[in-house]
Amino acid sequence: MEETIQPKFSEPVFNRSHGRLLMPENRYWPTRMWKNPWSLPTYRRGAAVLAGLLSGAAGAAWLLGEIGPRVAPLYSMAEQYALSYGIPLFLVQTAWTVIKAAVLLAVPLVNALFAVWWERKISAHMQSRMGPMYVGRWHGALQTIADGIKLFLKEDLVPESADKIVHLLAPVAVIIPAILVFAPIPFGRELVYADLDIGTVYVFAVGGVSVMGIIMAGWASGNKFSLLGGLRSAAQLVSYELPRTFSVIPVIMLAGTLNLSAIAGLQAGYWGGVLPRWFIFYPVVGQVAFVVFLIASVAETNRIPFDIPEAESELVAGFNTEYSGMKFALFFLSEFAYVLLSCLLMAAFFFGGGEPPLPFLGFLPSWAWFLGKTLVLMFCFLWFRWTFPRFRVDRLMDFNWKFLLPVSLLNIAAAGVLIWFLDCWAAGLLGG
Amino acid sequence: MIEQIVFYMLAAVIILSALGVVLLPGVMHSALCLGLCLAGVAGVFASLGSDFIFAAQILVYVSGIAVLILFVVLLAGSASDLVTRQINEQWLPSLLICAAFIWSFLRIPAYFSGITAKSDPAPTVRALAGALLGDYAVPFELISIVLLASMTGAVLFARRKAE
Repeated sequence: MEETIQPKFSEPVFNRSHGRLLMPENRYWPTRMWKNPWSLPTYRRGAAVLAGLLSGAAGAAWLLGEIGPRVAPLYSMAEQYALSYGIPLFLVQTAWTVIKAAVLLAVPLVNALFAVWWERKISAHMQSRMGPMYVGRWHGALQTIADGIKLFLKEDLVPESADKIVHLLAPVAVIIPAILVFAPIPFGRELVYADLDIGTVYVFAVGGVSVMGIIMAGWASGNKFSLLGGLRSAAQLVSYELPRTFSVIPVIMLAGTLNLSAIAGLQAGYWGGVLPRWFIFYPVVGQVAFVVFLIASVAETNRIPFDIPEAESELVAGFNTEYSGMKFALFFLSEFAYVLLSCLLMAAFFFGGGEPPLPFLGFLPSWAWFLGKTLVLMFCFLWFRWTFPRFRVDRLMDFNWKFLLPVSLLNIAAAGVLIWFLDCWAAGLLGG
Repeated sequence: MIEQIVFYMLAAVIILSALGVVLLPGVMHSALCLGLCLAGVAGVFASLGSDFIFAAQILVYVSGIAVLILFVVLLAGSASDLVTRQINEQWLPSLLICAAFIWSFLRIPAYFSGITAKSDPAPTVRALAGALLGDYAVPFELISIVLLASMTGAVLFARRKAE
């Protein structure tokens, strides 16, 4: 009598880089992991890799030193060179502007390359998944480049019922302000494309133009989901723009200038040698302003919990349902550009820009601190996305008009009282 | 040289988009052209070196009023708005009226055309703030009271209609 052949499932075969993750002791990931995480060698190794990366980045920044003050001598050197060879100065200035603009253009591109990968990894780890692991060998580091190639090769679809020209122009109208808006942003000491005197107003003004592109996309797609998404988006962005702008006014009142790099530079120094003079540490006013600005910024970038313009479960993908290929990529790029912009603004307004948090940490250059603060804030943005449920449409509006806006207005009054109090303090009228 | 190139480009954008506002079929296209036209005017302000007016123009007109107009078109529009021609049989009289207005408006800049800026453009915010909250504080506050009153009135009317 023959034995019945039991179907024998072979052990899963993985390639080398993947097999390491599913070794027998890790099979029960994540349940066993959370019991005693430090008992797992992979966990300890991961922490060591992270610490190594951070200290390596800090060391590289220390070796590089300040970049900002080196730029102006470079330009005068180019001018000297042009003079000695008889090249007209007009050409040098044009070339210099083009180079600066190209560097500025690279900011949203590189940011998207990094932020998309980071968002996927963070979301995966928050949901006890791995996220991208294959492309680029190390933790899927090149996943976004592969995604970009995929988007390049995709067919560019235009719906039959679409308004062709407006449909084509909508991503352009979204991405152009998203690039222009980085012009007055300081990335460190003296590291700014255009040191505008009205930097703050410029950022809020130009950043608001993208709403038009979103409405265009929603309307021109000829799709009811897109139209609803565009409409919701217009309502939400126009509403949340108000508390977002009003929450910055206390900072401007305290700083007395609209220039972004001047606002960041004013926060140098420490109270009692320990507490940095950042605007977030001004009692009550600073914290309220920061929280309102943070909430309104998350809403302005259409991210969860304020993502009703593109709520997947209700509206397919909202205003960008009918977009594919590079047009869709432009919407995506601008969303991440605005996330980066919000984080840069928060770092400049509330966290002292390029100033180190403690006096003895001043050996790192200002751009490293600026970038570090921005990345920490960006992590918060990604963290919110995978933590909170979505708002309902009417709740969203109620929250803005009945809570955020009055709070931000009251905060302006409180800032006035605080300034008066500080003036009295400085004049020695209070308690001597 | 560069100033002139920039000016003529901006002027072309403004005039073409302004023509688009009144000639294009469909309310939505007109609203979008209006946004472009207002942005072009902001560009002229920027090229003349008045930085705050440029930012205020973008903030108030392009990302405020133009977006609100788009919003109204999306909410209150009907299907026929998208194809309706904007020109009826009375285009000739209206063209004549416009020509009369343009001719009279042209006389105003002609009066100032000999005046050129003496120095490079400088930041204007400080001077503006000093004027608005110093010499002209009373008219400034009066205007805000008028705006507040009109806003309250709008809320009142909207509420009464709802009942």
